[in-house]
Amino acid sequence: MSKPKALVPYGTLDLLILKTLETMGPLHGYGLARRIEQVSKEALQLSQGSIYPALIGLEQEGWIRADWGVSETNRKVKVYALTEAGRRQVAVEVEKWEQATALVARFLEA
Amino acid sequence: MSLRRTAARLLALLRPGRLDRELDDEIRAHLEMAEQDALAAGMTPEQARRAARRQFGGIEPMKQEHRDSRSLRWIESLLRDFRHGLAGLVRDPGFTVVAVSVLALGIGANVAVFSLVDAVLLQPLPFPEPDRIVRVWQAPRPGVTNATSVLDFLDWRRLADSFEALAAEQTVSVALTGAGEPQRLTAKAVTSDYFRVFPATPLLGRTFLPGEDQPGAARVALLSHAAWQTYFGGDPDILSRRPVLDGEPHQVIGVLPPGPFDRDRAELWEPLAFEPGQQTRDFHWPEVHGRLRRGATLARAREQMETLNAALVELAPPWKRDWGVVVEPLQTLLVGDNLRQSIFVAFGAVAMVLLIACANVANLLLAKGAARRKELAMRAALGAGRGRLAAQLLTESFVLCLLGGVAGVAVAALLLQVAKPVLPAMAPFAAAISLNLRALGFAAAVALGVTLLIGALPALQTNLGKLSLLLNQASRGFSDGRSGVRRAIVVGEIALSLVLLCGAVLFLRSLVALQSLETGVRIDHVITLSMNLPLTTYPDAEAAGRFYAAVAERLDGAPGVEKAALASHLPLRWIGNGEGLVLPGLEKPVNVRLKRVNPGYFDLLEVPVLSGRDVQETDRLGAPHVILINETLAAQLADVAGVTDPIGKMVKLSYPFYETKGGSLEDVEIVGVIRNEKVSSPGSADPAVAYAPMAQLPRPSSSLLVRTPSDPYAVLPTIRAAIGEIDPNLPLGDIITLQQVRDGTLSGASRPTWVVGVFAAVAALLAAVGLYGVLSQTVAQRRREIGIRMALGARSQDVVAQVLRNALRLALIGVAVGLAGVVSLTRLVQSLLFGVSALDPLAIACACVAMTLLGLLAGFVPARRASRVEPTVALREEG
Repeated sequence: MSKPKALVPYGTLDLLILKTLETMGPLHGYGLARRIEQVSKEALQLSQGSIYPALIGLEQEGWIRADWGVSETNRKVKVYALTEAGRRQVAVEVEKWEQATALVARFLEA
Repeated sequence: MSLRRTAARLLALLRPGRLDRELDDEIRAHLEMAEQDALAAGMTPEQARRAARRQFGGIEPMKQEHRDSRSLRWIESLLRDFRHGLAGLVRDPGFTVVAVSVLALGIGANVAVFSLVDAVLLQPLPFPEPDRIVRVWQAPRPGVTNATSVLDFLDWRRLADSFEALAAEQTVSVALTGAGEPQRLTAKAVTSDYFRVFPATPLLGRTFLPGEDQPGAARVALLSHAAWQTYFGGDPDILSRRPVLDGEPHQVIGVLPPGPFDRDRAELWEPLAFEPGQQTRDFHWPEVHGRLRRGATLARAREQMETLNAALVELAPPWKRDWGVVVEPLQTLLVGDNLRQSIFVAFGAVAMVLLIACANVANLLLAKGAARRKELAMRAALGAGRGRLAAQLLTESFVLCLLGGVAGVAVAALLLQVAKPVLPAMAPFAAAISLNLRALGFAAAVALGVTLLIGALPALQTNLGKLSLLLNQASRGFSDGRSGVRRAIVVGEIALSLVLLCGAVLFLRSLVALQSLETGVRIDHVITLSMNLPLTTYPDAEAAGRFYAAVAERLDGAPGVEKAALASHLPLRWIGNGEGLVLPGLEKPVNVRLKRVNPGYFDLLEVPVLSGRDVQETDRLGAPHVILINETLAAQLADVAGVTDPIGKMVKLSYPFYETKGGSLEDVEIVGVIRNEKVSSPGSADPAVAYAPMAQLPRPSSSLLVRTPSDPYAVLPTIRAAIGEIDPNLPLGDIITLQQVRDGTLSGASRPTWVVGVFAAVAALLAAVGLYGVLSQTVAQRRREIGIRMALGARSQDVVAQVLRNALRLALIGVAVGLAGVVSLTRLVQSLLFGVSALDPLAIACACVAMTLLGLLAGFVPARRASRVEPTVALREEG
């Protein structure tokens, strides 16, 4: 029962989801997964399913909100949207990410 | 993790099913959309479905990750095990009822005794910083404590700065009249600092002010909450009422808060004023309590008191120059060694019962485990980890203990309810003994401890790596090792029960010894009551003497009265006041207990006058002073002064004054010697006692004894009427039979008898049940073997004998192990025993025989069952 490898840098899936919702507005799970793949120009090997555990975590933190909507296939589906707290969290996460990359960059330049 | 997320995860625990369904919906929608996109991209339906699946990744691992992410997995599985355990118990109601009741009994007994320990030992003093409250005594000899003289107390209060406050008190009795039947209240006369030693915020009004304890101050009183409720119906206007106490209206200045002060016998507090005539160093009556100054240690206070005592020695009368002073923390004084030990013994007994209860339940669980092992093996084969299985078994034990604990609290409440009438007599000062939060916490702790104890064994079964082997094994039942564990448990139960049984028999023997204790007085059919003459109506000895004479006269020959007598102290009760008896030519007085009796006293109690004469009617006020002495005093006189025949001997005896503290040294003639009547507690020798005629030395408080031909209580109306005719305002108190007086005096030594007895019986029964269980199972397992043996010609009595031998062997091993416990444990209760050694061979033999017989009895039913095995049936059975 090995975990499928999501080649998403550790801990960044949350950021990718939040940023995508910020740019695109409300999306359902499949839409989100597709969008992340497109933006990454298919360079990212994402198991689409792995966004769901991340989504429930973000929802429990109160950064995104899930509402029931209808899919293109006419099914009941959860549509996720950024909350106000989520919007603030995007800024926090972006800053954290930038600090981290800047730090790593300094090491690489040294 | 943020707080919000934690809360959300906890919430998720409540609806795992719904969240799982929602996730399933989402996955389905996701896959459909992915498929549709793939179809649109030109794939065949089959390809599209596979592509969608591939892109999605593993569904089951993702679901598990989703569960871990949204919720707290260990709690989720705990809850599942909990439900599982509960369902298991419901499926097997017989087992559940037995196990839960056994646990409830064990836990309940422990919680009840804990409540007692909590009230008596853990918080005996309901006052702030109780460790600063001390009792201060004068000490005639090392190890002997005495009340304090007024001047010594006043000097201490002035000079001892280790104390924040020092207060003197005297327990008195006051008559409350003017509202219906006259009542007698126990009261404390206290100096105004009293409530600085025992701080109280009054419910109404105030406590005493400095100066209110001076002679001539206004008459004021404080009521306990209980007294306010009982005598004044909780009247909120009590402060404006002026109840008549001892014939004088008193101003009630306050009502004490409910609780702490209701524990005391006292119901009323009034100021204690030292009249100039009372300010001496010769008479010792105030009891002194102190509160240590913050930061002052007990050692510092003791040191200072000793220095003070040495400095005051010049002022002391010659005969008390060698007296010392003793400072003791009140907490340790309140709980006497005897009571403390009784409680520990009771706790030990119930702890053993709990252990035995645990052993029984563990045994039952192990027996059940036989059936469970296949289920566990199956689950292990399907991939459940060992920790997971152990957790499941522990959770099941926990469910059992939780039920046992809840039922146990109910049992404890019941036990306390049953014991309620006797508890106050046992621990009079203790708080209301109740199931408080601490007791409930204790119950929870015990239930958890029991879970670990009884859950550990079944949980360890998950070891034995051979679980998987079991799947292949025919269901022959137990491996030998495991039934060995069960036998060891039963042996342990028998051993523990034996210890308890031994204890019970020892206490019973002690009780029997107490019952047959020679007290020197005839106690049957005697009713006693006490009277307290208020000084306002009976200001002097003449008035009191006239009253007592009138009482004796009216009761003499009254219907239902066989004999009547008056005395300052009841028989079998300690005489608190010691007086000095001075022999001509000896400087140091002999310390004697002084008791006043009227002419009928020795006759009523059938105490023989060994030589000389009894008290007579002619020994009245104004006639030459005479006394009778007891054997102890006669022996002492012979010892210290070589007086071989004390009759006719003139001595000097300090005669207390009637109305005030103090007394005078009088010439008295010894006219008789009586056989000792029991005065001290059992086990200690009787003190020297001098008996003065009541008429020559009356005092305001006294006791009346009436012997009746039949039921002693039946004569009460006659007594009431007779005394009411003389003084309608005099309340009568402490109406009890002499038998009750005796029981009260002797109860200390027999206190734990019933507790230990009852729990020993319970323990022995539990052990027998355990033994029965193991033997029954052995018989059940060996049906085939027994069948074969019977088919080969064994007679049924051989089979019976074999099972009984088995029972006997287990019982004897248990008894042998238990004996070791008896030798080491019963010694601890020696000081609680009276007239019997802790290693009394008879008691030990009784217990051993009883336990062995019980073991055989437990084996009897399984043995009969074994003898009825039909060989043909047993052999045909699938093993």
